[in-house]
Amino acid sequence: MFFWIIVACLTLIACLAVLLPVLRVRDSVADDSAFDLEVYQDQLAELDRDVARGVIAGTEAEQARAEIGRRILKLKAEGSTLAAKAGFGAGRIVLSVAILAVPLASWGIYAATGSPHLPSQPLHERMADNPQANPINELVARAEAHLAENPQDGRGWDVLAPIYYRNGRFVEAATAYRNAIRLLGASATREAGLGEAVAAVGGGLISEEAQAALQRALALEPDNPKARFLLALGLAQEGRTEEAQAAWLAMANDLPQDSPWRGAVAQMLGSKAEVQATPGPSQDDVDAAELMSDNERAEMIGNMVAGLDQRLRENPQDPEGWQRLIHAYTVLQRNEDARDALVRGLAALGSDSAEGAELKTFAAARGVSAAD
Amino acid sequence: MIVEAGHFALVLAFVLAVVQFAVPLIGTRTGDDRLMAVAAPVTIAGFALTALSFAALTMAYVQSDFSVVNVWENSHSLKPMLYKVTGVWGNHEGSMLLWVLILTFFGALVAWFGSNLPASLRANVLSVQGLVGAAFLLFVLATSNPFARIETPPFEGRDLNPILQDIGLAIHPPLLYLGYVGFSVCFSFAVAALIEGRIDAAWARWVRPWTLAAWVFLTGGIAMGSYWAYYELGWGGWWFWDPVENASFLPWLSGTALLHSAIVMEKRSALKIWTLLLAILTFSLSLLGTFLVRSGVLTSVHAFATDPTRGLFILFILMLFIGGSLSLFALRASSLTQGGLFQPISREGALVLNNLFLTTATATVLIGTLYPLLVEAVTGDKISVGAPFFNMTFVPLALPLLIAVPFGPLLAWKRGDLYAVTQRLYAALGGALLTVLIALFFVDGMGVLAAFGVGVATWLVLGALTDLALKAGIGSVTTAVAWRRFRGLPRSVFGTALAHLGLGLTTLGIVAVTSLDVEEIAVMKPGDTLAVANYTLRFEEMTPFQGPNFTSDKARFTYINAWGRELGEVISSKRLYTARQMPTTEAGIVTRGLSQLYVSIGDPTADGGIVVRAWWKPLVLLIWLGGLVMMIGGTVSLLDRRLRVGAPAARKAKPKVLTPAETPAQ
Amino acid sequence: MTRKQKRLTVIGGAMAFLMLASGLTLYALGQKTSYFYMPAELQTAKLEPGQRIRLGGLVAAGSIVRGEGTQVAFAVTDQVHTVKVSYSGILPDLFREEQGVVTEGTVGPGGVFIADSVLAKHDENYMPKEVADGLKATGLWQHTE
Repeated sequence: MFFWIIVACLTLIACLAVLLPVLRVRDSVADDSAFDLEVYQDQLAELDRDVARGVIAGTEAEQARAEIGRRILKLKAEGSTLAAKAGFGAGRIVLSVAILAVPLASWGIYAATGSPHLPSQPLHERMADNPQANPINELVARAEAHLAENPQDGRGWDVLAPIYYRNGRFVEAATAYRNAIRLLGASATREAGLGEAVAAVGGGLISEEAQAALQRALALEPDNPKARFLLALGLAQEGRTEEAQAAWLAMANDLPQDSPWRGAVAQMLGSKAEVQATPGPSQDDVDAAELMSDNERAEMIGNMVAGLDQRLRENPQDPEGWQRLIHAYTVLQRNEDARDALVRGLAALGSDSAEGAELKTFAAARGVSAAD
Repeated sequence: MIVEAGHFALVLAFVLAVVQFAVPLIGTRTGDDRLMAVAAPVTIAGFALTALSFAALTMAYVQSDFSVVNVWENSHSLKPMLYKVTGVWGNHEGSMLLWVLILTFFGALVAWFGSNLPASLRANVLSVQGLVGAAFLLFVLATSNPFARIETPPFEGRDLNPILQDIGLAIHPPLLYLGYVGFSVCFSFAVAALIEGRIDAAWARWVRPWTLAAWVFLTGGIAMGSYWAYYELGWGGWWFWDPVENASFLPWLSGTALLHSAIVMEKRSALKIWTLLLAILTFSLSLLGTFLVRSGVLTSVHAFATDPTRGLFILFILMLFIGGSLSLFALRASSLTQGGLFQPISREGALVLNNLFLTTATATVLIGTLYPLLVEAVTGDKISVGAPFFNMTFVPLALPLLIAVPFGPLLAWKRGDLYAVTQRLYAALGGALLTVLIALFFVDGMGVLAAFGVGVATWLVLGALTDLALKAGIGSVTTAVAWRRFRGLPRSVFGTALAHLGLGLTTLGIVAVTSLDVEEIAVMKPGDTLAVANYTLRFEEMTPFQGPNFTSDKARFTYINAWGRELGEVISSKRLYTARQMPTTEAGIVTRGLSQLYVSIGDPTADGGIVVRAWWKPLVLLIWLGGLVMMIGGTVSLLDRRLRVGAPAARKAKPKVLTPAETPAQ
Repeated sequence: MTRKQKRLTVIGGAMAFLMLASGLTLYALGQKTSYFYMPAELQTAKLEPGQRIRLGGLVAAGSIVRGEGTQVAFAVTDQVHTVKVSYSGILPDLFREEQGVVTEGTVGPGGVFIADSVLAKHDENYMPKEVADGLKATGLWQHTE
C-alpha cells in the first residue's frame, strides 16, 4: 500500500514539473540579443581591466575594442530573433499530451517490467526473521571481526578453522589452521584438519601438501583417525588400492566401537552391514556434527566424481581425466559406472589410438573391461 | 519496496526525458515560450528521480538485498561497506545507471545555472540533453535493468570482481563519467546552435565553463585510472595503450582541442564551424568509448559482461547521435557566418597549430584503436596494435606540440612577433638547455633522447612560469608593483600557466620513468637480498593473513639504502578472494620523494622460494601530480569572473556603457 | 605575399603535415602490429624469422614446469595442437591450467615459442576473447553458463 502512495506522489511531482512553469505568470523575458549583449559588455570591461593592468598594448586594445563594437552593432542590426508569439492553442495540445503521457507511459512501462509485489529483503532482516537460516554466518562474522583486531589470537583461529571447513570455505579453513599452528604450535587435530582442508581445496585430492600435513599429524598422534583415514584415501587415489584397503581394515579393527569414523571406514570397505552392526546405543554418544561431516565427506567425494564426469562429457579429449574417473569409480565400487566411463572414454579417444589402448590397459589393471 | 520505488522512479525519469526532448523543441519551433519554460523544471525533476533510483539501488547494496539480481551477482554480505557502495557501479547495469545519473545531473546544472542563456538556446540545449538522456535511460531499462528481481533470493551473493575491490573504484569511474558525460553539454550546445542556425562569440563564452569542467573531470579520471592500474595490477606499468585506455584518452585529446579553439571563437569570432565540429566530435568519441567498453567488442576488466543485444543497442545510439549531429552539421554549417582573419604567427595561429596537432593525434590514436577491429571484420585476421605503434606515431606528434606550448600564451592576438616572444623566452630556453646538459653528463643511464625529453619538460615548466612573470611585469616594474599586478592577474591566466606547468610535470615523470626505471627479478628465500637501483631489499618472511572476504600470503621485505641503513618495510601480498576463487597481487609500494620502490611477488617455486619482481621508478609520481596540477589549473580557470556573466535584468534594461564601443577607433 | 598566397601557404603546410602524419601512421601499422594465432594456425602460418606474434589458447593441463629461477615452461593448446612456450618472469594472477592465455613473443629454434609477455587478461568467464573465438571456430569450446 505504502508503495503505491510513493508511486502516486512521484507521478504527481513529475506532472507538476511539466504543468507548473506553464501556470506561473510570467514577466516578459529579455530578448535573446540582450544575453549576447551582456557577454560583449563584459568583454569590453575585461579589455578595460587588461589595459589598466598594462598587459595589452594600446593599438591592440583599440583593435579589440573595435571588433567587439562591431559585434554589438551586428547584433543590433539583426534585431530580435524571437519569433512572433504563436497562439496558445497548439501549445495547449502539446502540454495536455505531455501531462497525460507522464502517468500513462510510466505506469504502463513499470507494469510491464516491475515486480511491485516483491518487498525489499535486506539480509539482516531476513536473518532476524529466520534465525535458523544461517546462524553460523553470524558466529563466523563475529569471530572474524575479533580476529581482524587480534590477528595473533591463536585460540580464535583454532575455533574458527573447523567452522570454516563445515561451511565449505576450505581456503579460509586452511589459512586458519596454518595461523593456529603458527601461533599455538602443531597438534594432531590441527595438522589433520589442515590436511583435510588442503585436500578439500584441491577438490578432494590428497595432494603432496595435504599428505605432508597428515603425516605430521600421525607423527604427533599415531592413531589419529582423520589422518589415517585420509592418508588411506590418498593411497587409494594413487591406485594403491590394496594398501588403502589394508589401512582401512586396520582402522576398522582398532577403532573404538563408538568412533564416528567407523561409518566412513565401513563405507570405504564396502560393507554396509558393519554400520548396522555397530551397537545402537553407542550411536547416541556420537557427536551429531561429526557424523554429519562424515556424510558430507561422502557427499563431497561423490560430487567431485560427478563433476569430473560432467567435465569429461563436455570435454572428452582428456585421456588422463578418463583414467581418473575410472579409478574413482572403482574405488567407490561403482563398477557399472566405471565400465560406462571406459566405454565413453574409448569412444572419445578412439579405441585404436595409443591413448585408447593406454586407457584399456589402465582399466584392465583395475578389473574393468569394456566388453562384458 | 524501496527497490521497486527506485525502479518506478527510473521509468518516470525516462518518460520525463522524452517530455524534456519533445516539448521545449516544439516550443522553440513555434516560438511558444510557455513550452520552452517547461524544459528547466522537467530537467531538474528528471535528475531528482534518477538520483532517487540510484539511491534505491545503493540502499539495496548496503543492505545486501539479494532479491535484486544485480546485488546478488556483484555483492557479498561480508564485503566491507565501502565496496558495497562502490560495487553499485562496479558492474555493467550499475555503471550505466551512474552514467545516466551524471547525464541528468549535467542537464540539471544547465537548467539551474542557465539563467544567463537566451531562452530559446537554453530550451534547445535542454531538449538535446533530454534526447541523449531518453536514449540511455531506454538502454538501461530495456537491456540492462539493475532492478531485476529474484522471487526466492539466495542467502549469499557472488561477490564483486576482486580487482575492483579497491578505493580506486570509488573515484575513477565517477570522475571519468563526469568527464565523458560533461562533454554532452558541449554537444547539446553545438546541436542547439545548429538547430537555431545562429552562432556567435557569446556562444563560445557560454560553452566554455562546461568544456572546462568536463575536461577537469576527464583529466582527473584518466590520471586516477592510470594510477589505479599502476598499483593494482602489479605490473608496474602506468599506461598500456590498451583500447579501453585509449577510449578515455580520445575525448581528452579532442576535448583539449575544443578548449583551445573555443578561446579563439570567443575572442575573435573565428573558427566557429571548427569549434562546433569539435564539440560534436568530442562527445561522439565519448560515446564511442562507452560503446567500445560496454559492448564487449574489447576484452578487459572493464567489459563486465558481453551481451550482443547491448552492443547493438549502443551501436544504434551511437549512429543516431553521431550520424544525426554530423548530418545536421553538414546541412547547416555553410549557413553560419565566417569570423575574423588573422596572421599565421599570432595567438590564433598558435591555437590553430595546437588544434592541428591535437586532432591529428586523436586521429592516430583512433586509427590504432579501431584498426584491429576493422581488420578482423574485413579479413578475419586477428591482430593487435600495441605500444610500439603509438610510440611511433603519437610521440612524434606530441613533441613539436609540447615545444610550441610556451610560445602560445605570449603571442599577441591577430599579429604576433615570434622573434620578440623568443627573446622573452630566452631564460626558459637557457634553463631547458642547462637541464639537458646536466641530465646528459650527471645522470647515469640517460640517453640523448631522454635528455632531450627532460629538456622539453623543463622548457614547459619554465615557459609557464615565464608567462606568469611577464604578465606580472617582474623585471620591468618595481617588486611591489609586480606583486600587486601578479595578484591582480585574471584567474584564467593562472589557469593557463598551471595547466601548461602540469603538462610539463607529467612529461618529466613519463620521460624519467621510461628512460631510467630499474627492474630486477629474482627468486628469493627468507634472508635473501636483492639490489634495486640504490636500495637493497631483504626478504624477511611470508605470513598468512585472513581478510574479510579473502585470504592472503603477505611477503615482508626490509629496504635498505646504499649506506646500509634499514629504512622500513615493504609488504607485498597475493590475495585469494574466496567467493570467486580469484587471486590478485597486491604490490608493495614505498614512496621516496617523488620516486617509488615497487615490489610485486609471484608464485612460489619448487625449492621454497618466491619469484620477486621489483622496480625503482624515478619521479613516477610526477605523472599523476602533473595531472593534478592540470586539474587545478582548469578549476582556477573555471573560477574566472568572466565565466560568470549574469543574465540581463529584463527587457527594459538598456545597455548603458556602450558609447566607447559604438564609435570604434579606427 | 598577398593574402591569397599566405592562405595557400598555410593550407599547404597543414596538408603536408597531415600527409606526413598519415604516412607515419600507415608505416607504423605495417611495422608495429602483431598477428594472433592459435596453435593449429601456427602450424601452417608463414612467419619470417624473429617476427613478433601473439599466441593464444588454453594452458595445457600438467604442462607447467618451473625451471631454474624465474624460468617457466608450459604448453598452449587448442585441444588439437600444442605449442611449447618458455617464459621468464612472473606469471599473471589468473594464469591457471586449462584456462585461456595469450602470450606474445617469437617462435624460437625447435618450434618452442619464446614469450616475453604472458597475459591472462579476460572477462569473468576466464576466457580471452580471441581464444574463445578461436576455439569456437574449431568447435571445441561451448559456452557453458
